[in-house]
Amino acid sequence: MKTRMKEYRARLGLTQEKLAEMVGVRRETIIFLEQGKYNPSLKLAYGISRALGAAIEDIFILDDDHT
Amino acid sequence: MKARWILIAYAAICLLALMLMLSRENLYVVIALAAGFLLLGHRELWSLIRHGRMPVIDERVQNNLTGAMRLTGIFFFIASIVLILLFRFNVFKNTPKELIVSGQLVIVGFVYVMGYYYYDRVRPCLGEKAVKWLRICLITAGLCLSTIALAIVLHNLVSVWFGFEDAFFFILALLVAPAVLSLSLLGCLAIYIKGLVASFKTVEQS
Repeated sequence: MKTRMKEYRARLGLTQEKLAEMVGVRRETIIFLEQGKYNPSLKLAYGISRALGAAIEDIFILDDDHT
Repeated sequence: MKARWILIAYAAICLLALMLMLSRENLYVVIALAAGFLLLGHRELWSLIRHGRMPVIDERVQNNLTGAMRLTGIFFFIASIVLILLFRFNVFKNTPKELIVSGQLVIVGFVYVMGYYYYDRVRPCLGEKAVKWLRICLITAGLCLSTIALAIVLHNLVSVWFGFEDAFFFILALLVAPAVLSLSLLGCLAIYIKGLVASFKTVEQS
């Protein structure tokens, strides 16, 4: 799974710490999500997209081999 | 909130057990319980000291905790069976039982911590190839342990059945299998440390 979390977070001027606090997760979780090393649950993905003010499919992009 | 109450309850149980064991002068168990408490609650204690609050338990942490608990449970089960067998055959004749059981508790604590950090930090930072090698090393270590036990039994059986001193199973149990076991454990440790170092770099750089 690829994400555009970093890009959207930078646009809003949010730090990883702040986003983690908004979503209710640890900063490490945001780090691993941004690097595509962790696949979030649907609930967490919704929470993140809501915090970043974008649609879920704009932030989380499924790789071709997973479709 | 739930985690805080679990930690408080756990600390209270540990304190009661410590007082009980101290009153019975079982110092090994007291040390094991204290070390076990520090190992199991190290994240919470560190967060309380550093930030003055309990750490956030999100879905990733929950998954990691579940994985580490499962791993610890399996290890504890296997270690208990091995210890029961060793006690049954009087291997620990001259060693205090409290020392053995306390040692087991501390090792279980270490397995939990290593398991947690594997799921939390090491696994996401290891490539597929490294994970494959880690699995191979772990399976080899497990096979070596079984080989040692089996070779000891077979060595004794051959001696009893055929009436001569067997050399093959003796060398297998005392030289070959322990050497391969050491190599595979070193391999596991090297891959684990590599992943851990990479994860700390990843978190620091982000």
